[in-house]
Amino acid sequence: MSSADFNSRVLARVPRHDFVGRGDELDRIVKHANAQNGRGLLLLMTPSAGCSELLRQAYDQLFNQQSDIIPLYYAFTRHETTAVSAAIEFLQTVLQQYLAFRRKEPALCRAPITLQDVLELAPSSDLEWIEPLVKMYERIRFSNDNKALVRFCLGAPQRIPVRSGKAFVMFDGAQLADDLNGSVVLGAELLRVFGRSGQSFVIAGLRRQILDSARAAESNFELLDLLRLDQLRSEEAHSLVDHVALRSKVVLSREVRDLLVQQFDGSPFFITNFLQAARDRNLALNTYLDCERLYVDELLGGHIHHHFTNLLEEMAPHIDKRVRLIRVMWEAAASDEKSASVEGWRRRLEVEPAEFENTLHQLHIQEFVNWTGATVDATTGSQTWKDYLRVAYRLAIKADSRALVVAETIADSLKRAPNTMARHYKQSDRIDLRRVVGTFDCQRVPAVLFDYRDFSKTYKGMDEVELQSQIASEANLVKLPQTVHVASCYAFDSGSRKAYEEERCVVAHGFEDGIYTDAQQTVWLIADLESKLEVDLELAKSWFDRLDSLARQNDFQRYRVWLISNEGFDEPAGDLLRQHEAFCSSKRQLEILIQQIGATLAMQPAPVEAADEFLMVVPMGEENELLAASAVEQIARRLTFPPQAINQIKTAIVEACINASEHSHSPDRKIYQRFRVESDKLVVTISSRGIMPTNIGSNNAHLSKQESSDSAAEERRGWGLKLIRSLMDEVEFQRVDEGTSLRMTKYLRTS
Amino acid sequence: MDISTGATVKSHCVGTTAIVYASDYLNKLTGEKIERECRRQLDSGCRALVIDFADTQLVNSIGISILLGIIDIAEKSGAQVVFSDVNNQTIQLFDMLGLTRHVALAKNEQEALSTLSGFNPTPTLH
Repeated sequence: MSSADFNSRVLARVPRHDFVGRGDELDRIVKHANAQNGRGLLLLMTPSAGCSELLRQAYDQLFNQQSDIIPLYYAFTRHETTAVSAAIEFLQTVLQQYLAFRRKEPALCRAPITLQDVLELAPSSDLEWIEPLVKMYERIRFSNDNKALVRFCLGAPQRIPVRSGKAFVMFDGAQLADDLNGSVVLGAELLRVFGRSGQSFVIAGLRRQILDSARAAESNFELLDLLRLDQLRSEEAHSLVDHVALRSKVVLSREVRDLLVQQFDGSPFFITNFLQAARDRNLALNTYLDCERLYVDELLGGHIHHHFTNLLEEMAPHIDKRVRLIRVMWEAAASDEKSASVEGWRRRLEVEPAEFENTLHQLHIQEFVNWTGATVDATTGSQTWKDYLRVAYRLAIKADSRALVVAETIADSLKRAPNTMARHYKQSDRIDLRRVVGTFDCQRVPAVLFDYRDFSKTYKGMDEVELQSQIASEANLVKLPQTVHVASCYAFDSGSRKAYEEERCVVAHGFEDGIYTDAQQTVWLIADLESKLEVDLELAKSWFDRLDSLARQNDFQRYRVWLISNEGFDEPAGDLLRQHEAFCSSKRQLEILIQQIGATLAMQPAPVEAADEFLMVVPMGEENELLAASAVEQIARRLTFPPQAINQIKTAIVEACINASEHSHSPDRKIYQRFRVESDKLVVTISSRGIMPTNIGSNNAHLSKQESSDSAAEERRGWGLKLIRSLMDEVEFQRVDEGTSLRMTKYLRTS
Repeated sequence: MDISTGATVKSHCVGTTAIVYASDYLNKLTGEKIERECRRQLDSGCRALVIDFADTQLVNSIGISILLGIIDIAEKSGAQVVFSDVNNQTIQLFDMLGLTRHVALAKNEQEALSTLSGFNPTPTLH
């Protein structure tokens, strides 16, 4: 029998180097195990955030350390039907894993052994406690006292002698413990037994259930630590996709990787299952179409389908009730009403009160609904759940043909994909208003940062060094409030949810001078407006009115409206906002404010991918379009283009680069340029990732030669494209999954 | 003759006419610097502007839109604007975007000053 080495896998399903995204949590669990004082750790998991592999990795790390900490891992499963059978299984697991640890034999953890085998394999020094334990178990098992049996089994780790080490038990899937039949509510019992044991332990499971169980067991929260496990952040989720795809030998494009992360909201459970499905079908995921086809397959019959179907079967075992449940949930989720009455749901589900309450509780635990006493909100839940529900509703209730459901779901998913990414890119590219406002903290900053017209008059076009120096010497300062709460505007006005984007429009409650009195209480209503030019009177007024109305609706006594826009505000807009004592700032002013108050921008450029020999990649901004222009000049000279044509090509490229930089909200902030030389022409393709600008979205085949604009502002927005069209012989936007790809051709014969 | 370079934009005055020199690339950044300098000159009493493009090799649409803004500002101040020494490629772009409808073009700085010599600025109303 071989000894365990430091990196050997015991229970983990992936090697440590392939386990990504939960490093901090893993460290926290291992530290918890090593802590001297015995404390409980409740691992509160968001549904589908995945905690099993995290616990198994912690187990392996502790096993391989071979210190005095004896790791014990037990996962509740849906196969166990009673609390007693689960408790017996736990006892068996404890003994088996104890022996594996003591004998340094990882394989023993997975071997099918009986209690008799345990007695035979136990070192003689351990027989003195294992043998009596097994005998006592045999006696209690047939005593008809289920509660005593459950407690006895759960107490097994406490019987390990101190000289052998300290048991560290990790329970996984603990939300299932309360669903087991029998006279003992196992979830609460776990907390009681281990809460009094003086040993460190982890109980992991769905957050709502775990907290419910802790309250039911009247746990002492002073002796419990909480670790919240949310979905992975974007960068971690990207890394997970890359690792799982590599391990599963699934080829996928960067675009699909990013889409998966957003579509599954960083859920390790869905991402892993999805990629395994791609592996099982031997599919490459190069395009959004590849991705959404597989997604719909998964919704209708794959891992995702089985996951949700199993949950629904547990909640409503009878088919007729299940169908009613699907109907009620989908109709509520698709409704404009955020919440419905519990009584209305009960009548429609046609079930007895006790059964209804149980179903509702399970829906709440899985976070398919928010159940708050008299009302149910079914608009929560992940997008994947909603997609599953919609498909189930169409097949089971509407009796739509499967082919129709498949076709339309693929089409809908494809239509949604660019919007999903656009939303993500806009969020990533945006200054985090919450963070900015949260950093105010009574700091004094130049008042000119909140008045665009004043700022523009004094600072626009000023050399950066001089600007910084003059800003630093500004004497007219304004004292910012201390912010105590920041939330999206729509949290205050759910009826106008569509009017507000979550991160672009916030309400900040605070106190001036940090003095907590009514007189000092203030509310800032802040909106970051999207406008390429200076915001005009109409737009400024509509936003001011909207926020002003929100303040009045919510009875804010003292409030301040602050509008922000990339390029600031024109004179009439500035005058209007001044009249109303509202603040207005450009993005530049906001950036200076951030420097002043020490907040950090939420802009994280993604890593660059290497270009091939035909591709030139330049970062957006810093006049880098000139590099592209210079490169094309050299190429065009070789083709003996006349100087005027060379200049036209250069100008077109400059415009294409500016367009890409200004419109795309590009995640990598790169412009990809391909130059193809043919005998009679030069073909230049400029691409960027991100969002396709709305002004080209509707005519992405060929641009109209006679395009004209109504207003001056509209016309100026279209100038770049107008120039490109005029300067090049052929201009074509090519279809790509995300961002834009603009192909421009110049023929040699033209002069 | 009063010569100043401002922050980075070169300019000088001939009487009440300011001559502002555009750099080799006219974009948002350099356009705003020119705008700033033009405003400064108008605020200090200049009644006409000559923007010289002798060094300008490349312009982009944002730079052109800023020039249009400068023409608006000058118009409001009752000042005239002349663009001098603009190369053919740039004139072509100005034409495409309609800029040449709003501004006089001169071959060089001297011609621009001559063009302006017969111009009587209208008083500015406040």
